[in-house]
Order: sequence, then C-alpha cells, then structure tokens
Amino acid sequence: MTDALVCQDLTKRFGRHLAVDSISFTIERGEAYGLLGPNGAGKTTTISMLSGLLRPDAGSVHIAGHALTQDPRAAKARIGYVPQEIALYPELTGRENLRYFGRLYGLPRRTLQNRIAEVLDLVGLTDRADDKVGDYSGGMKRRINIGAALLHEPTLLVLDEPTVGVDPQSRNAILEGVDQLVAAGMSLLYTSHYMEEVERVCKRVGIIDKGRLVAEGTKRELVSRLGTSDRVELVLDGDITAAAEKLRAVDRVTEAVPTGTSSVRLLAEGSRHLLPSFIAAVEGVATITGVEITEPDLEAAFLHLTGSTLRD
Amino acid sequence: MSPTRRRPRPILALVVANLRRQARDRTGLFFMVVMPFVTIAFVGLALGGGSGGETRLPVGVVAGNDDPIAAAVLEELEASPDLDVERRDSEEEVRAGVREGRLAVGLLITPGSTELELVMTQTNGTGMAARSAVDVAVGRVSAVLEATRAAEAAGATPEEAAASVRAAREDSAEVAVRTRDGGDQGSDPQGFAYTAPANLVLFTFINSMAVAAALVETRRLGMVRRSLAAPVRPGTVLAGEALSRLAVAVAQALLIIVVSALMFDVSWGDPLGVAVVVGAFCLVATGAAMLVGSLVRSPSQAPAIGPPVGIVLGMLGGCLWPREVAGETLTTIGYLFPHAWAMDGLLTLARPGQGAAEVLVEVAVLLGMAAVLLVVSLVVFRRRAMTLR
Repeated sequence: MTDALVCQDLTKRFGRHLAVDSISFTIERGEAYGLLGPNGAGKTTTISMLSGLLRPDAGSVHIAGHALTQDPRAAKARIGYVPQEIALYPELTGRENLRYFGRLYGLPRRTLQNRIAEVLDLVGLTDRADDKVGDYSGGMKRRINIGAALLHEPTLLVLDEPTVGVDPQSRNAILEGVDQLVAAGMSLLYTSHYMEEVERVCKRVGIIDKGRLVAEGTKRELVSRLGTSDRVELVLDGDITAAAEKLRAVDRVTEAVPTGTSSVRLLAEGSRHLLPSFIAAVEGVATITGVEITEPDLEAAFLHLTGSTLRD
Repeated sequence: MSPTRRRPRPILALVVANLRRQARDRTGLFFMVVMPFVTIAFVGLALGGGSGGETRLPVGVVAGNDDPIAAAVLEELEASPDLDVERRDSEEEVRAGVREGRLAVGLLITPGSTELELVMTQTNGTGMAARSAVDVAVGRVSAVLEATRAAEAAGATPEEAAASVRAAREDSAEVAVRTRDGGDQGSDPQGFAYTAPANLVLFTFINSMAVAAALVETRRLGMVRRSLAAPVRPGTVLAGEALSRLAVAVAQALLIIVVSALMFDVSWGDPLGVAVVVGAFCLVATGAAMLVGSLVRSPSQAPAIGPPVGIVLGMLGGCLWPREVAGETLTTIGYLFPHAWAMDGLLTLARPGQGAAEVLVEVAVLLGMAAVLLVVSLVVFRRRAMTLR
C-alpha cells in the first residue's frame, strides 16, 4: 500500500524570502505525524503546498500515490484539510455547512446524508446540527471545522493548529476526537503550538525552523539527541563566573554556563543525586538559593534544535 | 444513470450556500423586497402616477355650463386620447390640484371670453405633455370658430355657417401635427412607468453592491481557500461566487418587474428586449459587486461604499428623478456609467412599438462595461482570496 503522504524537496519562495527550503518527509498509512515549529518557520506554507492551495516552486507531493501537480483532483479528494481559522459560513447551520463541503467533494446525496449524520455524531454536535454556526461556542466551531474535513473519508487528515483559541474542555474534546481517528487508522498531519498535544497525538515529529526540516523522528529519538542529561538551573548569590567554573569540574556535569547575573545553567546526568556536590563545589564563591531541574523532553529537544521556544 | 451523474456540481453548492446566506440577511431582504416598491409607489405618485401604455393626463377644467366656447373646448378635450377631463368648481381648486400634482394642468374658461387661462407648474413632468394635448384641442375649437366667422362674413346665417363648417370638417382630410418631443423616440414614460425601471436599475445595483459584504466575509473567513482544498478548479469557485451575485441581481430585477406589473400596472414592453437589457445590467452589477467584494478589507466597508456609489450613479442616470430635471451637463456625465444606458434601454422599450432592435447600442455598451468589470474583478478576487499571500 502506498504511503499516505510523500513530499520530496518541497520548496517555496516569496520574493527574496525562502519560506520553505527543500523539505522532505513521509507519512505512512495510519501514522500520526506532528509538524512543530515556531511562528514563521514555514509550517502553514508547507501545509498549503501539501493541500494544493499553493504551488511549490520545486519538489513534489504525492497523496496516497497521486501526484498533486499531475492529478490534483484525485490527490485533493484524499486530503481532509482543517485550516487554522474557522472556515465555515456563520449564517448557515452546522448541517448546511457540512452539506456544502460534502457537495464540493462530490458526495452523492444519500451518501452525504449518512456521512453528515456520522460526522455530527463523531464531533458531538448532533443535537446542535440545525443551529447556525454563528451561534456556536468557539469549541463547537472548532469541532464542526474538523468534521467538515472528514465527510469524504480522506486518507490523510491535515490539521493546522486545531485547538487555537478554545477552552480547555473543548480542547480536550477535540483531542479525544483526534485520538479516536488515529485509533481508527486515520493518517494525520498535525501542527500545533502546544508541545503536549503533539506528544499525545503523534508518534513521529518533524521539527521545522526557518523553512528547513531540522530534525525528524519519534519523540524518543528526538529527545535522545540531548543525551540523558537533565537541564539544571541554579540560582546563586555570589560570584557567578567563578561558580560556573567550579561546577564544570563536578563529575557528570557536561556544561555549566552563566545566564543573567544570578544563575548558572548546567547539563548533567542524574542531577537529582548531585545536589550535595553542587553545594560543595560553589562553597566559598557563592551560595545556592534556588534549583530547577528539567528532565529531557520534546520541549527541551525543540529548544536545543531551534534555539527558541515554540511560542516565540 | 451512472452514480457519477448523480453527483452534485460544486458550482451549484456554492450558489445554493450563498443564496441561503443572502436569504437569512433580514436587513438585506428588507432592502430587496420592501424598499424598491415603497420608492416606486411614492416617487411614482409624485410624478403623477400612470403606468405607461395608455396613460391619460388629468386636466382640471373650470367652465360655465351655458358657454358655447366652453362646451366646444370640453368636447374636444374629452375626445383627446391623452387627457382625462375633470370638472372643477373653482379656480382655487384647480390651482391646488396642479400645485399638489393631482392634476397635470388646469384650464380656466371665463364665460364669454375667448382667452383661456392654462394653469401649470414647471416642476410637474406631466405638465408639458398635458399642455400639448390641450393646445391641440383648443386649436381645433379656434379653427372651427374662425371658419364659422368667415362663413358668416360671406353672408351665411349662423346656422348655415355652422352646417357648412361641419360639412367641411367631415369632407376634408384632417391636417394634424403629432408632437414627438425628445427626438424621434417620443417622450419618456411618466409616473410608475418611469419609476419602476428607474428603481429596477437603482436597487439591482445597490443591492448587488450590498451583497458584496458577503463576498468580503467569504474571503475573510478563509472559505475560498478551504473550498479550493477540495477537488475543484479555481475557475469553478470563481464562477460560483460570481453566479451567486448574478442570481441575487436577477432575482431583484425580476421581483421589481413582476410586482410593478401586477401592483402598478406597469407596461415594460417587449419581453425579449427587457430580458436583454436587464440581463446585461445584472452582469454589470455583478461585476461591480465582485470588484468591491475583492477590493475592500472588512465586511462593514462594502455596505458603506456600495450603496452611496449606487445612489450617485442612480442620480446621474436618471433613477432618482427625470433626467430633464438634472440638466444637460449631468445627463452627459451620466452616460459614463451604466445606469444611464440601462435607463435609456428600458424607457425605450416602455414606448409602444419598440423592441430589442431599438436597444442594441444600449445593450452593447452595458455588455462592454460588464466585461471590463467582470474581468478586472475576477483577476483581483483570484489574487486576493485564492493565494496565500
């Protein structure tokens, strides 16, 4: 069976700005793939090219074996695109919006009726189906926004920041729905600012920065790039530079860098057991007044790879 | 039938969705369904009512019962196909009727006098037409009186003179002058026959511009981009959006034609000609709506820009008042815009005996304007709504 998505050397330039620089990745059937990157990294441009909304300057996209540039209708028919914004007619009801999208995808009348009922059930809006979308809450709009992309039973569902601006309860409902889709074997491309969402939903993650795919792999693979070191933030009172030098000499500490005027950041293995060694090392030059330990995670890997946090 | 044949057309889905949205806009519906007819009724009555075709102009007459001249004038006036004679008791009543627009003109006949007084105002558009008809009727009475006097001068008794004049009128071919003001096309229709086409042009354009707001909303919501993620061609989405606006314009025009014909007895003229002129004007309105909907940034800007532009163009095109009131300069400027051409076409068709062949120039100009507007608007819309940047 062909992969759900294969994109090869995808490139897009806007004037002098190289928005996407030769990105390649593959999503297998039934796989949930997360695309992480700070604002302006090129995620939306990449998704627009994958969804056929933007023509790439170079590279190719195949959806379930269909080349997007050579056979756009067949390729697009296999994608369910959920945009970042709520792209629905607020004057129409939830059911009418679904009917509109179903007709765009050419679903026959009876099939469409059945699919609308199934999708409404899936997104939990059966009892509000005949209310205007303009009267829905933010979370309900997000859910029907996803539902509209599921009507034609796509091979690949592309979710661009699907939980932006929703309350925690609705966010949880959306994630549960996505979990169900993944469990049912839906192939997924998921972008989000929320690291914990990507960690929860996706098995594999691609990290995109300044238009390039800087790393790709499972969560374990990405985190392992940091080694097994913890990040330790020590707050000190005294000579920070001298303290950093002494801390660097402690066994199993690989890095000690002064940050600001009163703290030192360390990379150390098994840091929880090294606290007495840290206290002893700085004795005479500084006093430790605070400690923060972060174990290796995707956030740390992201920071390590891109030099910035997701919400920068 | 194969299953693929039963599949709905995406373009139809777009049109249906947009028409549903329009139907749920209560303010928009008010301006589409109620306002045109309120305007047609009020302005039509102010211009003297009348529905085109066989319009008779009301003439108020004050005259003595035993005066032979008055009797002769009344007989001629009543025989006129253009006039509806209404006897009044006093001069004040006639002057008030003319001043308030209930009478096209008034005629005061003093017993024993051969000088008749005509009462009219310059602002009543029907006054000039009524005056022409009254002049013809009075001229005929004057001619009979002169012929009778000539016969009496030649020695005939009054009875013999009258008999010989009657015989002469019956034997001789009547020499008549037909007034054809406004060139060879005849005068513009009056009353409802004028305000119905005027408001068709005005409201079709204004409401098309107002629905441009929905197009801005479609762009702003990202509906166009999302629709393009479906297996449809960009041209299908563009055509669907344009057809939606065209459907609203055509619905507005049809509503005004049908209701004005039923309620105000307006005679629109040759159906083919009307269909062609109205169709061409609806394309112009669609192009203008697409252009506004593509250019402005927020949905609130479209109704703020569109209707005022529509009203100004309506003024220049003769939709708000008869063009003879506007003067030559403004009327000439009006021909730079579609309203004046559409009005010319519809008013020409409203005259008896005029058909599609008589409005070819107007239709050609309107189609040219529509082509320019549609091409420009679709290019701008495609750039603004369909690309990522």
